[in-house]
Amino acid sequence: MGKTVLIVDDSNTMRKIVSRALRQAGIDFSTILEASDGQEALDVLSANDVDVVLSDINMPNMNGLEFLKAKSEIAAIKDIPVVMISTETGADIIDEAKSYGAKGAIKKPFTPDLINETLGALL
Amino acid sequence: MENAQHIIDATQEIFSSMIMLEVAPGESFIRNNDKLINSISGIVGLAGATKGMLAIHMTNAAALAVTTAFLGMDVEEIDDDVRDAIGELANMLAGSIKSILDPSGSDIKLSMPSAIYGEDYSVDCLAGAQAVTVPFTFDGLGFLVELQLRKDS
Repeated sequence: MGKTVLIVDDSNTMRKIVSRALRQAGIDFSTILEASDGQEALDVLSANDVDVVLSDINMPNMNGLEFLKAKSEIAAIKDIPVVMISTETGADIIDEAKSYGAKGAIKKPFTPDLINETLGALL
Repeated sequence: MENAQHIIDATQEIFSSMIMLEVAPGESFIRNNDKLINSISGIVGLAGATKGMLAIHMTNAAALAVTTAFLGMDVEEIDDDVRDAIGELANMLAGSIKSILDPSGSDIKLSMPSAIYGEDYSVDCLAGAQAVTVPFTFDGLGFLVELQLRKDS
């Protein structure tokens, strides 16, 4: 059965690019959901069965780190794996993301192969 | 011109991997705040130990071609998709430059990307900043990537 992924990014362009890369990555995703910031992502996670989340860090309203922290405090969704996908992949930021439960990080620019490699280990 | 090489490396990697376009760099120069005509600029600010900005300036024709390739669909006017795509290009370029200048990621903060466009406008320089601009060409079209940096002691 196909998996469900949630893409969280304030850029509509980047959500399209990530969505296209997911299709090219060869992972069987039956549903690709989108959210434009952390708060919207929390709402989507609460209303849908999601297998994995790909989230940007630098977003308005609720950024990726705030999203991770808020998600970790909601029992029903706290165990859904999140991979950060961002231009911000400095060691300090990624360490902070992992302290809030992020399972990995993909740096923009990225390739479908890198997405396959990173998500394949989680699904 | 170390920063010029950083710009070339980051730009070629992003265009090659994300847009499937091979872009050729030209000779770097200092832009002197020349006016931009019928263009769009994606801009990301840098703050912290090193201040400045990263900007990508494209003619409308180049921006339409790049966005069409980026999204894999025809784009015929400067609309929200084009502004978002050029802003996101600036964001990725700034992130790549930041990862070179600040490997830990904690000394430089990046702003959210923004895009400005128009028939005739200018982008002001940061006072006291070291600036370098690299021109690129692809398929008979061109664009500029500009980096301004000022390290406060």
